[in-house]
Amino acid sequence: MNILKNTFAVGSVIAMLSCQSSGPKDIALGKDQCDNCRMTISALGYAAELVTDKGRAYKFDDIMCMNMYEGSNPDQAKNAKLYVVDYPTGKFIEKSKATFIKGGSIKSPMGGNTQAYQNKAAAQKAAAALGAGLTK
Amino acid sequence: MFRILFLFFPVLIFSNVLRVGKNEQFKTIQQAVAASKSGDSILVESGVYREGNINITKPLTLIGIGRPVLDGEMKHEILSFRGHHIVLKGFKIINSGQDEIKNIGAIRLYDSHFSVIANNIFENNYFGIYIQRGYRCLIENNRITSSRSKSQEGIGDGIHAWVSEEIWIKNNYIEGHKDGIYLEKVTDSYIYRNFSKKNLRYGLHFMSSNDCVYVNNTFDNNNAGVAVMYSNNVGMAGNSFINNWGDANYGLLLKDISFSKIKQNRFSNNTIAIFMDGATKVDFFRNNFEDNGWAMKINSNCMENKFINNNFINNTFDVGTSGTMAMNDFKRNFWDKYEGYDLNKDKIGDVPFHPLSLYAVLVENNPAIMLLFKTFFVDLLDKTEKIIPSLTPENFKDEEPLMKKVIS
Repeated sequence: MNILKNTFAVGSVIAMLSCQSSGPKDIALGKDQCDNCRMTISALGYAAELVTDKGRAYKFDDIMCMNMYEGSNPDQAKNAKLYVVDYPTGKFIEKSKATFIKGGSIKSPMGGNTQAYQNKAAAQKAAAALGAGLTK
Repeated sequence: MFRILFLFFPVLIFSNVLRVGKNEQFKTIQQAVAASKSGDSILVESGVYREGNINITKPLTLIGIGRPVLDGEMKHEILSFRGHHIVLKGFKIINSGQDEIKNIGAIRLYDSHFSVIANNIFENNYFGIYIQRGYRCLIENNRITSSRSKSQEGIGDGIHAWVSEEIWIKNNYIEGHKDGIYLEKVTDSYIYRNFSKKNLRYGLHFMSSNDCVYVNNTFDNNNAGVAVMYSNNVGMAGNSFINNWGDANYGLLLKDISFSKIKQNRFSNNTIAIFMDGATKVDFFRNNFEDNGWAMKINSNCMENKFINNNFINNTFDVGTSGTMAMNDFKRNFWDKYEGYDLNKDKIGDVPFHPLSLYAVLVENNPAIMLLFKTFFVDLLDKTEKIIPSLTPENFKDEEPLMKKVIS
C-alpha cells in the first residue's frame, strides 16, 4: 500500500514537472531575437510573445512584429495565446486584457509605437503625458 | 588676382570672428552665439564649458582651439542645430543627458542642411550624434566612445540618422554604443572607412534605408557586424566583418532586402558570417569567407541570389539552409573542401561541388547533433551521402568550382 502511495506521489511530481506551464517565457534582453524581424530584443517595455497551443513561445521586440507574424504564419497563430508587456511593470499580460496607447512621442524598436497597459487609468494618464491616443 | 579678391569680397566684409575664452571678449559660448550674425565664426579657447543646452539657429562655424570640453553634466542635450550650414570642429563633447522617449544625445540636428561635424571627440554620451531630417550633412573624423551601460537598454547609438538624405559618414571610430551607426529611413547616403567596434548590438544598422553604399569599413566584435533590414539597393564593398562570436551573432544579417550587391568583403572569425532571411536578388562577388562557423545560413525564403567567384576557406560549414534552396545560383566559387579533379586543365573542377553537407542539414534540424562534430561517424555519413544522396538537395551545387583561390 505504502509503495503504491509513494509511486503515486512520485508519479504526480513527475507529471507536474513534465507539464510545462503554458504561460509566456521570460525574455533574455540583448540575447533573444525577435522571431519576426530578427533584431535582438533590447527594450522589454515593447516586447510581446505568442505561445502556440503546443507551448512553443515566439518572442517579438514590438507589438507590431507580433501582428505581422500572426498575419504571415496562420498555422502557428491558430489557437495561440498572445501576450504583451505591461509597460510600467515589465510583466506579461494577456493581449485581450490590455489597453493600448499609440502615437505621440512613443518610439518602439520597429515603429509600431504602441505601449500596452494593464490598468486603463494608467494608460490614460500615460497617453496624456506622451501625446498618444488610446486605441481601444 | 583682382578676381580672386572679388570672390572673397562679400565674406571679408560681412563675417566676423568672435572669440570665447577666459581672457577674451565672450566668457561663454551662449553669449557669443547670441551676439553672432549669420555666417560668423566662433573660436573657442580650451577649457571646460558647462552651459546646458546650446541652441544654434543660424549658419555659424564653431571651432575649438586646444580641444575645449563641452560638458552636459548627464542632464542636457549639449548642442542643438536648428539651422543650415553649421560647422563644428575640434571639440570634446562629454556626458550628455539621457531620455528614452526624447532620445536626447550630445548633438542633435533638427532639419539641418549642409552641416558639418568633424574632428571631435565624443565620450560617455547617450546618443552621440542624432540627425533628424538632415540633408547633405557630413560627419567626419570623430571618435565616439561610451561605456555608460553594459546592456542595450541603457544606451543610444553612436550616430543615429532618421528620415535623412545624402548623409556622408566618414572615418569615424565608434565603440560601446548600442548601434555604431543606425540609419532609419535614410536614402542616398555614403558610409566610408569607419571603424565600429564592441557595440552592444550592431556595428551598422540599416532600417528601411534605400540606395545607400558602405565601403571599406571595419566591423569588429559586435553582436552583429552589420544588419541590413527592409532595404533595397544597398551597396556593400571592401568591408571587413570580423570577430562576431556568440550564440545569435552574425557578421552580416540580411532581412527582407533585395537588389543589392555585396563585393570584395572579408568575413572572418564569425559564428555565422552571413545570415539571410527573405533576401532576394542579391549578388555576391569576390568575397572571402575564412575561419567562420557557418559561412552562410540561407533561409529557404531567399530567392534569385547569385554567388560567383567567392572564396570559402576553413569554415566549419560552408552553407546551411532550412529548406531546399532551389532558386539560388552558385557558380565558380573556390571551396577548400572540394576534392574534385581538373583533367582538361581549364582551372575549373570537372565534377560539381555540393556545399551543403548532410551533417549541416542534420544540425540545422536538430542542434544537439553538434555533439558528433568531427567524429568518424559524421565522416562516414558524409561519404555515404556523396555516393547515394538522400537528404541533401540534389539541385543545390556549384557546377563549376574553381581549383584555385580567387584573388581579389
